Amino acid sequence: MNGEPSRTSANTRRARARVVALIAAGGLAVSAASAHAQNAGDEPPPLVLAAPAVAAPVATLDSVDAAYDPLQGFNRGSFGLSMGLDRAVLRPIAHGYMAVTPSPLRRRVSAVVYNLGEPSTTVNDILQGKPKRAGRSSARFLINSTIGVLGIWDVATGMGLKAHDADFGQTFGRYGVRPGPYLYVPVLGPSNFRDSVGRVLDFVTDPVGIVGGGYTTTFGASRLAAQTVDTRARADNAFRALDDATDPYVTARSAYGQYRAAFIREATREVQALPDFDDDIATDPVAPADPASAPPETAPTPSTTQ
Amino acid sequence: MTNARPTRRFAQLALVALAGLGVLAQAAPALAQGQREPQAEQFVQTRAQRVISVLADKNQSVAQKQATFHQSIDQLADVPRITNFVLGKYARTITPDQRQRFAPAFRAYAESVYQNRISDYHGETLKVTGSTIRKPGDVIVNTTISGGQLGQPVQVAWRVLGNGGSWKVVDVQFKGVWLAITQQQDFVSTIDNAGGNVDVLTKQLQRDAQRPASR
Repeated sequence: MNGEPSRTSANTRRARARVVALIAAGGLAVSAASAHAQNAGDEPPPLVLAAPAVAAPVATLDSVDAAYDPLQGFNRGSFGLSMGLDRAVLRPIAHGYMAVTPSPLRRRVSAVVYNLGEPSTTVNDILQGKPKRAGRSSARFLINSTIGVLGIWDVATGMGLKAHDADFGQTFGRYGVRPGPYLYVPVLGPSNFRDSVGRVLDFVTDPVGIVGGGYTTTFGASRLAAQTVDTRARADNAFRALDDATDPYVTARSAYGQYRAAFIREATREVQALPDFDDDIATDPVAPADPASAPPETAPTPSTTQ
Repeated sequence: MTNARPTRRFAQLALVALAGLGVLAQAAPALAQGQREPQAEQFVQTRAQRVISVLADKNQSVAQKQATFHQSIDQLADVPRITNFVLGKYARTITPDQRQRFAPAFRAYAESVYQNRISDYHGETLKVTGSTIRKPGDVIVNTTISGGQLGQPVQVAWRVLGNGGSWKVVDVQFKGVWLAITQQQDFVSTIDNAGGNVDVLTKQLQRDAQRPASR
């Protein structure tokens, strides 16, 4: 039950690019960051629910269902390792960064990093057959890179060009590719077969990466470092949420699965097929909600140390 | 013999008609999805904003905030129903005794999670942007939360159940992630790993509720 709206100003595609970047850098523990950073990002949320009327084709249940996780043994090990690395390396760096920079400054950093991901969004918009979105993301990139001074200021949003994200995982999903088995990629974080392939493609097709000369150049290395620290900092609330979970592995898996499913519904315009809220007990003759209503008031006040 | 064909034809037609009826029956609730539910929207606007405001109120001490928060949660959320929901399949097998222990533990845990984050809230405002009726009495209310520490507005959806003037939130969605659904998967996995013993989860929640905020 944790879910404060995280602050933010950045996005997923960038997160994704960063993730691939990490592959190249080899060894930074962003771990759960990817999924969660994305959660922490802003960008009009994937709520197809907002789409009025239309009884659109109903999405599959994989957002709500138990995850398909045949590699759980490996994944849990990978998760534990990645979280340990995060605690040892990335978290201290991110917390240091957050301690010495005010959030308005961090938002500018996020904006610059995000802006460099726009061309990759455009690539996927085109592949998805969405010319309007492609026009928007490319216009955003041109405007924000010039008038917005290298992306420091997102002036395009003020001109009615709202940000959106797109990546290869979404592009695959748009054409009906299923996520496949869940995969916790060591250090990089939650994924699945489809999105992992997507990340690699995102990396090799990233126009900015191609022009900038990969991660061996000063520009490329700086971008990678900024992406990594920015993403981890924005994901901090999500990491704290994982600390609160009774089974952090499953919580990360569930959140990632739902997040990605919603992100893909954004491209397919499907409506989420939610089961009835208490489906599980609706069929149950024994346990209606009553027994639960008695005790809650007796909840002890937790001792919080602020 | 010549009759065989028409008979089969008729059977086919009947099947098609039946299938058609089935489609119609399904289409009816689908149509309802287009409507908005003003009373549910009003409920979320008032109650959810109140909770956010409580958390951000600088004039209250932490203890005051906790007390107010404790009360306003009951006005906003259907706590018993959520308590049951997060148990998933175990809601069917839990004994009354176990439930008596679990419910307060869950509540204390959930409140402590939010209270540890009080510092995250700084006067955000919530604005209802619309709603979708899933079916009568089951509504998704869409909101935008902005201001405070948020660089950009975030969209949050609230699932509310009820009717007329009486509504309660049962789930909240942010970036595609439903909190109660995620919580259910978290808890069910924990109980699974404890061999189906709900008390193990209860004990863990009791411990976690006493834990200082993770930094």
